[in-house]
Amino acid sequence: MAELRFVFGDPHVCTGCMICVNVCSMYYFKVIGPERARVRVLRIEPGLDFPLFCRNCEDAPCISACPENALTRTSKGVIIVNNRLCTGCGLCVDACPYYAIHINPDNGKAIKCIQCEECVRRCPVGAIWMTTERELAAHDSDGRLARLYEEHAAELYDRRGD
Amino acid sequence: MIKGVGGEVLWVNLTKGSIEKRPLDEGIVKQYLLGAGYLSRVLTDMIPVGIDPLSPKNVLGIATGLLTGSMFPQASRHVIAALSPLTDIWGESHAAGFWGAELKLAGYDVIFFTGASHDPVYLNIRDSEVDLLDAEDLWGRDVFETDDLLHERHGRRCRTLAIGQAGENLVRYAAIMNDRDRASARSGLGAVMGSKKLKAICVRGTGKIEVADPDNYLRVMDGFYNRMLANPFTPERARYGTTNLVELMHNIGRLPSYNMRQGVFEGYMKISGEVITERYLVKPRADWSCLQRCGRYTAVRRGPYAYEGGSPEFESQSSLGSRCGNDNVESVLYAHHLANKYGMDTISLGATISWAMEAWDEGILTAEDTGGLDLSWGNHEVIVRLTEMIAFREGFGDLLAEGSYRAARRIGRGSERFVMAVKKQEIAGQEPRAQKSMGLAAVTAARGADHLYAFPVLDEAGFDDDIKKRFGEQYLPEMADRLNPKYKGIMVKECEDYMVVVESLGLCKYGTQIPPEFYYEDVAEALRVHNGLAFTVEELRTIGERIVNLNRMFNVARGVTRRDDNLPERLTKEPAPLGPPKGQIVELDEMLDEYYEQRGWDPETGVPRDETLERLGLK
Repeated sequence: MAELRFVFGDPHVCTGCMICVNVCSMYYFKVIGPERARVRVLRIEPGLDFPLFCRNCEDAPCISACPENALTRTSKGVIIVNNRLCTGCGLCVDACPYYAIHINPDNGKAIKCIQCEECVRRCPVGAIWMTTERELAAHDSDGRLARLYEEHAAELYDRRGD
Repeated sequence: MIKGVGGEVLWVNLTKGSIEKRPLDEGIVKQYLLGAGYLSRVLTDMIPVGIDPLSPKNVLGIATGLLTGSMFPQASRHVIAALSPLTDIWGESHAAGFWGAELKLAGYDVIFFTGASHDPVYLNIRDSEVDLLDAEDLWGRDVFETDDLLHERHGRRCRTLAIGQAGENLVRYAAIMNDRDRASARSGLGAVMGSKKLKAICVRGTGKIEVADPDNYLRVMDGFYNRMLANPFTPERARYGTTNLVELMHNIGRLPSYNMRQGVFEGYMKISGEVITERYLVKPRADWSCLQRCGRYTAVRRGPYAYEGGSPEFESQSSLGSRCGNDNVESVLYAHHLANKYGMDTISLGATISWAMEAWDEGILTAEDTGGLDLSWGNHEVIVRLTEMIAFREGFGDLLAEGSYRAARRIGRGSERFVMAVKKQEIAGQEPRAQKSMGLAAVTAARGADHLYAFPVLDEAGFDDDIKKRFGEQYLPEMADRLNPKYKGIMVKECEDYMVVVESLGLCKYGTQIPPEFYYEDVAEALRVHNGLAFTVEELRTIGERIVNLNRMFNVARGVTRRDDNLPERLTKEPAPLGPPKGQIVELDEMLDEYYEQRGWDPETGVPRDETLERLGLK
């Protein structure tokens, strides 16, 4: 299987403009609505804007959590939701350590980033890009990004208070 | 059924504590669009003549535009309006951010506040749930603390709009802040909120905006994105925001300095965009759907002026810097930060302090008046200290909190001639002797001195091709010459009409006016795909004209005539002493004659003629 890829963002570069979010909800659901997007952008002061995506975990707790086997990994390594099987029970939402999967309020089905790169192509500042764990470690050799995500993990992945 | 909007209007009666939801009035939208136009229609009908702007009889409206929350470049803005406590005429102010889009996602386009609460309250909106809540524990807190507390209470995804202590203390140029450091600053509408004991509006919208043409939407918006990104202004804006206008404006002699005695400032490089970008910029920040990202996020790391936050932009650099003869850049940044924190208009703030500094320099104000403060030009410690004293109305700050016009009336002794204001509002950072169109725009703007109502920047930086496109080749080269008064009446009239349309759509003037990338046909296309509204370019032009005339009639009803469309004598009679505009004055009468003729207003009185009002459906 190909190396697992995911979209990742730099909170020092991201301006918080929400274009990735709007592109996503428009591309997939033909509406503007951050709750319908597979990416979240969270502004955390001082001065940080986090674009947050599915991290495509190797152990994929979302897959194991689904009682209906609605989540599967494709041959290209992308975890997808089978809408016919998804009942919207939300167990995957609870299982995801990154709060990167949630239920679309319109159709009651789980939605998550499938690494299509529609947003990456349109980010005006190049704050988000497709990467792998290995590439990201090389890119972040001084650990700046890892530290930022680590320091703010509690706020970034907290489902309450939304 | 109009698409792409929230669809409902909230009417909040603060006296009774009642909240009513009404459908958006589509009849008004057809005639006035949304945003500034919608507020103009409703408030002109509702606000009685002769009331105190700070009494419960004033009505405060907050509206998103038709394209606010859309994917059009820079479609983030909302507009706030009421009778202004600074000018006693039409008061209007706008800001970017995320608050407007969030209001749409909650299902609302406009909020009106009538009456006044006895005790401090804030409005909390979570989709269909709308409540007036006790704000006793928020009252007395600054904008940042209020934002923090509301996030703690209502979740980190809510967006806030609030006043700081300046609004509570009825400073006549108090701002209404949103998303921490975005300011609806002009016209003193923060004081109106304060007079109503309304501290904040917290919004969380989990809904969606349904657009009229979902199948073509992304393709059309991609086209707008690509044009905006390809425009040479975009990387320049991204790098400097508006901060490097200090250098550019000094170079053309348009940087107000020493209370507008002159348009060049010897210390300009010290407060320049280059210095701020090199030493203090942390990152550029953008608002909803913004590709220009002029927002600055900066930090001063040590010393008495240490802070971290959103600031500055050109207006603050000029008003708190060159206008006060101040070349201490860290004090400029810090005073701007404090103005955001307490919620004040940096333009009127710096301009009022610079009025006092000139009166001090002339020996009119003395230590006896100022409580011992030394108001020498460039005394940065006093500028920072006064910023706090004004917000809290302490000592001499209490006088300056009234604005330069009222302060000078109280002091007298000839200090009135140093008031650089039109209709009681301080002139912004455009020395009009160096750009004549800005002098005309300042006197014709509905809210008193204002560079944004017309934003006539087409003669500023070589937009000859755009002048040709928008007006025709016959107006070149005069219209493009910023020192030539010729055709400026034509230019300002057309710019006002377009800019009030832009303010009614919730778009930014960056992208629609500077750079002049998007014009009527582009916003008409956006209205088609987003709202399903098929306005022709001609119809949009007429709507712009209708709004401007309605704003004028609001002011005419309150006594405004040609006599009030006037600049301080310094700018019309005293030749510019230094720099590129040396020897220039503003030839105001000549430009005004041309403007009134274009508008169909009586040249003697400045009042719209009956046939003009009839043509626009205002009679």
